[in-house]
Amino acid sequence: MKKVLAIFILIISFFIIYFLQSNIFTWFTIAGVMPNLIVIFILFVGLFTGKKLGLILGIILGFYIDIIIGRQIGISGIMLGLIGLAGEYLDKNFSKESRLTIVIMIISATLVFEVGCYIFNTMTLNMSIEIFSFVKTLLIEILYNIIITIIIYPIMQRLGHILEETFKTRTILTRYF
Amino acid sequence: MYRNKKNGIIGIVITIIILVLLVVFTNNNVNQISFIENICNIFVMPVQNGFTYLKNKISGNDSFFQNIDSLKNENQELKRKNSEMEQSLRELEILKAENDTLKEYVNLKDKYKDYETIPADVINRDISNYSSTIVINVGSNDGIKEEMTVIADSGLVGHVISVTDTTAKVQTIVDTASAVTSNISTTDDTIIVQGTLDSKQELKATFIPTDAVVLQGDSVETSGIGGIYPKGIHIGTIKEVINTNNITDRYAVVETAVNFTKLNTVLVITN
Repeated sequence: MKKVLAIFILIISFFIIYFLQSNIFTWFTIAGVMPNLIVIFILFVGLFTGKKLGLILGIILGFYIDIIIGRQIGISGIMLGLIGLAGEYLDKNFSKESRLTIVIMIISATLVFEVGCYIFNTMTLNMSIEIFSFVKTLLIEILYNIIITIIIYPIMQRLGHILEETFKTRTILTRYF
Repeated sequence: MYRNKKNGIIGIVITIIILVLLVVFTNNNVNQISFIENICNIFVMPVQNGFTYLKNKISGNDSFFQNIDSLKNENQELKRKNSEMEQSLRELEILKAENDTLKEYVNLKDKYKDYETIPADVINRDISNYSSTIVINVGSNDGIKEEMTVIADSGLVGHVISVTDTTAKVQTIVDTASAVTSNISTTDDTIIVQGTLDSKQELKATFIPTDAVVLQGDSVETSGIGGIYPKGIHIGTIKEVINTNNITDRYAVVETAVNFTKLNTVLVITN
């Protein structure tokens, strides 16, 4: 029951984030570049709830974005699913308690998501390749994501621990004994 | 007896002196004794002022308690009037906004009266930095179909790529996957304008014929080739011509007529 409620709250949060992204951040930009709050959200879900929910939410919400506003259906779903999946592996190998590691995770997730989407779109949509412009936009986007992550890090931590207690069973760290 | 007589005389004298003094003082001009008044005032007035202040305060409070009911009523009345005025102000604002939108629609319709059009509002924008699609609030229920042309007050917006019952997704001309065959209006040379990642207000014009003379400020319009866009819809003006070593590679930057960041109202051409 607690898990269902948590998932419901996560989905509601997704919609709030989506509206923030599509309404506020379309004009609140750095040099005309928006941040990618969706990537931050899915990575957060993957990190704190585990790979199963990260993967499923990533795929479903990614496909939802593609259906609502995307030019073609699929790539956002696949890439966000991968980020959700990667969340658990990142959690196992790195500490979530450090702001720096979270920032590095956000940088990698944004990089992987945007590069993946761009390659897929370039191949399927008959687009002209503009490497320089792409890299420039991507760097500003990553910078924007870093700033947002640093700002919301305390909230992320607090909510994340609540989620972690709901979804992850407490494990005894035998290697320390 | 003697003693009593003497005392009586002294009393009478003192009384007479006081009387004389009283007569003298009271018959003199008041201004002449103002220095005495001043001296008295120095000691008395501060205390007097204090008492007056206290008295006023108390009597004022009195009237406050007496008037509290009437003030309450008056306040309520004013509050009611205020909310009524606010309400009418809001109504006026709504009417004003509605009026502006309708005016915009009328202007748009006049401009493109040869085409049958359906007005629509932009209800959603792309959340990615690398694409530029919009969602409008008309769909198949309103007769919208895929590949219909979408225009705005000042020029071409894009074309419909997918339709639901009540909404339609529009790929704008500034999208990186968009390429529109167009004409330079002064020379009639055919070029292709594509969206770029760099700006949502600029297009890149490529495939410029080698013998074409392209000048800054030339108007660019749709050519009608390609089957999606009708001929003669204004796209924008040439902002800059970039010459490269090889003349076949030269390209031009076209500034779009439509401001895509502030795009709110569009028209879908249905015929």
